[in-house]
Amino acid sequence: MSLRVPCRLLLAFAALLATLAAARAETPDEALEAVLKEAREHCAQPTDRLERALCGKTLRIGVRDYYPLFGTRENGVHVGYEPDIARAIARRLGVEIEFVRVNAATRIPMLGEDRIDLVLATMGHTTQRDGQLRFIRPHYYQSETVVVGPKALWISDWNDLATRTICVTVGNVSNAQMVSHNTRLMLFDEAGVLPDRLKDETCTLAAQDDSFFAYYFTDPAFANRFEPKFGFAQVPWGMGVAKTGSDKLARALDLLSQIFHRDGTFLKIALENRIRTVFLEDQQRIWQRPECNTAEGSTNKNCVLPALNLELKPTPFAASVSATEDWFEKRLGIDVTLPMLKTAPAFSLFLNGVANSLILIVGALTATFAFAIAFGFSLGSDFRPLRWLAWFVTMTLQSSPIVLTLVIAAAFAHALLPYSAGVALGASILALGLTNGSNAGQAVSEAVISLHHEGGEKGMPLFVHALGRSAVSIVAFLINAAKGTPAASFIGAPELLGALTDVSSFSSGRATTYCLVLVFYTIVVMIVVWACGWLRAWLEGRQAPA
Amino acid sequence: MKLTDIWGDYVPSLLAGMVTNFEISIIALLLGLVVGIPFAALRFYGGRAGAAFAAIVVSLMRAAPTFVVMFFLLNVVRDVSLFGIKLTMSGVMTVAVSLVPYSAAYTADSGVEALRQWHRGSPLGALLFLPNITRAFFVIVMASGAAAAIGVPEGISVMVREAALLPTLGDRLVVFAIGIVLFGVPLQIGLALMRWLQRELGRRLLAA
Repeated sequence: MSLRVPCRLLLAFAALLATLAAARAETPDEALEAVLKEAREHCAQPTDRLERALCGKTLRIGVRDYYPLFGTRENGVHVGYEPDIARAIARRLGVEIEFVRVNAATRIPMLGEDRIDLVLATMGHTTQRDGQLRFIRPHYYQSETVVVGPKALWISDWNDLATRTICVTVGNVSNAQMVSHNTRLMLFDEAGVLPDRLKDETCTLAAQDDSFFAYYFTDPAFANRFEPKFGFAQVPWGMGVAKTGSDKLARALDLLSQIFHRDGTFLKIALENRIRTVFLEDQQRIWQRPECNTAEGSTNKNCVLPALNLELKPTPFAASVSATEDWFEKRLGIDVTLPMLKTAPAFSLFLNGVANSLILIVGALTATFAFAIAFGFSLGSDFRPLRWLAWFVTMTLQSSPIVLTLVIAAAFAHALLPYSAGVALGASILALGLTNGSNAGQAVSEAVISLHHEGGEKGMPLFVHALGRSAVSIVAFLINAAKGTPAASFIGAPELLGALTDVSSFSSGRATTYCLVLVFYTIVVMIVVWACGWLRAWLEGRQAPA
Repeated sequence: MKLTDIWGDYVPSLLAGMVTNFEISIIALLLGLVVGIPFAALRFYGGRAGAAFAAIVVSLMRAAPTFVVMFFLLNVVRDVSLFGIKLTMSGVMTVAVSLVPYSAAYTADSGVEALRQWHRGSPLGALLFLPNITRAFFVIVMASGAAAAIGVPEGISVMVREAALLPTLGDRLVVFAIGIVLFGVPLQIGLALMRWLQRELGRRLLAA
């Protein structure tokens, strides 16, 4: 009886210890050791790429060799943030590294072809890529698109960017976001030219990954002139392994990434390579939290970042459009790509572009005719102050290239009203109408003067006959106004050229897109020419019989 | 905006940019003459079929908006092959070529009229071709400002860049006004020269 109590106490204590041990979550370090130990036991018949790497003592890692600060090759040696991470991984696994050069186009296919085991090459984690490879969580870096411009230029957010032109690269995932904030995009094929275009002042602003600009900001001359204005469109970067035959390798790398964040290994490597560390400092705090610092932390939604979802909603007829493209390719051998019909945002831009172009053309024609009458009347007026004022305005407008007149109209409009598509269209109509109307008005006034010299009627009948006499010039400037409407895209008017430039900035098919714009405008101008023929006949019919 | 900034920095940059505008215009005009004169000849000497064909091509060239043609060339016809040699068009060349449809159509129209006058036995009437081409040149100079949209560092892009750095509308208007004066002076001189030429030729035509 006397022994029963201590024995019960002892048993209770042992049970408590066992319960506590069971309750204590396995650490990532312990889990990693277990995964590596198990993998090493399968050297006789390795099936997973981790087993193959551990047993063969070599891990093939795909890295970039010209991405300054992140992955470059200097005198045959891979240097930068990513090669240094690769070395830290290899050290922890106890293997040698075989670096393989990859680029944006080859990095995923090479995994699938089993030419590399791991890709560690500035790869953003997107939902589309989730279907092509297995991303390692947590992510080892996060980039964002940063808008860079001169220090003298005050830009703090999207409101300051409306109607400004930003130089970007075609296909950049953040272009769609910029377009939605009413910016104008100037497209370039290669990111490498953007810093040069900023330096030679071709571009006032440029937008690209902060990781790309990081290298250029290490140059004091560049850093003295330019600064990042603000960032957006954050993209987490992930290492990737093949979707099949890499389960254990992926698990080991998940755990290793957790450990590297928690212990500040990623942060230390980033500091050594002089890249931005804000994200990594934040991640270190997250992975030191007890709820994340467990063997299952990489699957905990409170600890890991989601993949970036860039998928654009397709149009209801996207499949039919794709089928049509295929038909052209197979039957006629013509590569037709119609991105403006395949996704909902692109289709919306396209429809608005067509509608705005037609509004702009009708508006420009009406304004030109109205200003032609106004200038014709003023320039032919007997009231000298009105005549001189009209002459001065006509001379000024004739001396200003149409693009400059559009820019001035936009400057006035934006000083008076906040930016909107309507304001940009209105300013464009006014500028096109003034420019062409003043020239046509000059012809009308010359006709007024000639009729005046010939004697005969005065007042309104004379003016109507002058319109008839100057019909050829009026019609020529009406056609010129219609032809000039695409230039309105320069000040952010959302007409078809501007709209399709926006669409082609985040999709493929530039050739088809610009062919379509050329055909559209040529047909519209030819219709205007045809309609103007009727107007000319009608105006000439107003002339007094000789 | 300080006066020293205007005279020391802005005006020289603008003048340098305007050189590019003239460079673009000269190339566009020369190419326009090369393309336009054969079409003028075809319309005049080519018989009914030749004239119809030339008329269709010229009306298409006349209808093509320069701004759209420029973006078409920039995005679709960036590389040109000449005798098997691949040539990439520079920004200046892209803008110049985009102005060729206008230039060629104008040349073809004026050329037909000149040929008509020549065959009527009026060489002076045919010479009116010259002031017409001068007028086209100045129209092209003004239209070459479209180059700013594709990043060619010409006059308009200098003005837009300078204005973007200024905080007030008043300062920007000073920048634009200087631009209008600098573009306007050669234009008005050119147009005056053209009017004088036309008058002189007209007078001689009447005398003849």
